[in-house]
Amino acid sequence: MSVPNSMRAGPFVPTVLVKKRYLIFYFFLIWISVAAILLEFWWYWQSLYYLETPILFFIFLPLLFFVFYITMVLTSLIFAKLLLIIVNALHKPREGVFLRDPSDKDYRYWSLRNTIKRWPIWLSHHFPFPFLDNLCFKLFGVKTKFSNSLFEGFVDTEFIDFGENVIVGQATLIQSAVIIGDLLIIKKTVIGDNVRIATHSVIMPGTHIGNNCIVSGKTITKIGQVLEDGWIYLGIPAQKFKENRYFEDGIENLITHVDDVEGLQKKYQEVMIRDIHQHRSLKEKRKYKKDVLKEEKLRRERAAEK
Amino acid sequence: MTEEKQEILEQNKNEDYNFAIDFSTSSAISRISLKFLVFYVPIFWIAGLLPVTFWYAYTAQVEGVGWILTILMLPFAFLAMWFLFIFGCLFITKLFLILTNLIHKPREGIFLAEKGDKDFKFWCLRIELKKLGIWLFQNSFLPHMDTWVFRWFGLKIDFSSHFQDAWVDAEFINFGRKVLIGQGAVVMSSMIVGKYLVIKKIFFDDYVVIGGQTSIAPGTIVGKDSVIGALSQSSYNQVIEAGWIYFGLPVIKLKRNKYAETSRTVITKIDVDESMKYQEEHDANIDDDKKHLVNGGGNN
Repeated sequence: MSVPNSMRAGPFVPTVLVKKRYLIFYFFLIWISVAAILLEFWWYWQSLYYLETPILFFIFLPLLFFVFYITMVLTSLIFAKLLLIIVNALHKPREGVFLRDPSDKDYRYWSLRNTIKRWPIWLSHHFPFPFLDNLCFKLFGVKTKFSNSLFEGFVDTEFIDFGENVIVGQATLIQSAVIIGDLLIIKKTVIGDNVRIATHSVIMPGTHIGNNCIVSGKTITKIGQVLEDGWIYLGIPAQKFKENRYFEDGIENLITHVDDVEGLQKKYQEVMIRDIHQHRSLKEKRKYKKDVLKEEKLRRERAAEK
Repeated sequence: MTEEKQEILEQNKNEDYNFAIDFSTSSAISRISLKFLVFYVPIFWIAGLLPVTFWYAYTAQVEGVGWILTILMLPFAFLAMWFLFIFGCLFITKLFLILTNLIHKPREGIFLAEKGDKDFKFWCLRIELKKLGIWLFQNSFLPHMDTWVFRWFGLKIDFSSHFQDAWVDAEFINFGRKVLIGQGAVVMSSMIVGKYLVIKKIFFDDYVVIGGQTSIAPGTIVGKDSVIGALSQSSYNQVIEAGWIYFGLPVIKLKRNKYAETSRTVITKIDVDESMKYQEEHDANIDDDKKHLVNGGGNN
């Protein structure tokens, strides 16, 4: 996390509110966390203010505000986790394609979960050093390590697995749920070890990123796309650009810049439209069309089953 | 089809591998450790003592001044406390920064982005420290002051430059006059590529405009009067010539920036004769077809 002028990213929770009564949970969490710090302040006041000279009271007051902050986050986290356990016992969160309509139970509970998660996440992210964010991620069911830096992008807070040493760039979207038209698609996103995801990229639900991958800037992956281990990916949708050998030792002196930028742009464009501009014979085209139709049919059947 | 693709890839593999950075990554810190709290807690504590002292003095005055005046002045008291806190934080952060820079001088280059590398460690530390002040001003009601914070932390910038909700690294960037950086743009003077950390200085000359959602890679030099379009990306160490509009992934020349010449108001004073000493000529961006609307404009 470098120094942003301002980019109000962070762990991301959609604000889709299916029913307004879900806000009761939200306000309950705010109330309980503020009540906790009020109790704490009362205790502090009682024990230090009525001494002969309240100098200790004033000296430790700034530190107390820091303790307030941590207490507030932890209290809201504990109660949010309790609420989530109850909600998840009523209806287990699951992957799949759901209807984006209040009549759909999965859609309703997805919204409810997000409403519960919002306050602790907002609170833990509003400190210049986001040391509590990873705790939020872990408690809300994202598999991650404490050393990962996931605070500069918009990272969804459920159905995501992170490996070790992952860096998420500025303003990157990592999603496990998207709304497309009338559908809500929830799919698990898996990100391997040592992955670097660059600025302004979009990782769609269901993407599997292998170990030692670099996803270059402004790249978008497809739903359910698999990125192989040890490659640099680029383009819309993401395609192989070159092998990633930047994890080898002793290449400091070999790293250079590109002089011919116009040539590089041509290379970029070639990669981006590799699929479209491939020369195909009539037979191949027919086969391709058949495959696509078959895939679509399968997908529809699977959606219908669920 | 897939076989062809594999062939292409294998051919590329057999060639000498090119380590040139022809893609971009991010400058987000790669490792979060709780050690940074060792700096944050004392900064908050010492800076917090200032408003606390103020509050103590303020409440002690109640008997002398009276309750009504005390309550009426309360908003000003809160403002004063808030800014005392911010300026205290900035002052102590600067002290810490000077100390860390004395222990290890910040420098450009390519370093290992791993535990144990001194440059990487101090890069993380500097960045964490600087973030504090900027964050405080961003979240107060004077967000314009962040330019001043950048200056305070040693960036070369003046008040004519603006960031519109963009990410700007707080070291190794030189700003000229009237630089404008668009919404959601990312200007990074450092980049983590694989397991290496690349730090290179960025130069912005005067009157540069960077479009929204554009990312600027380390080492980019942007010439005077240049424009980089929205949703573009500059490559590592790229030089952007003066007076051109650039666009693309990575950016290449699109067209000459002829707006630059007409965009600034030209005011000249011409000596006409002795009786009427000066005639003023204002050229203030008026389109040719509308010049007749202005009194006396266009004809003389």
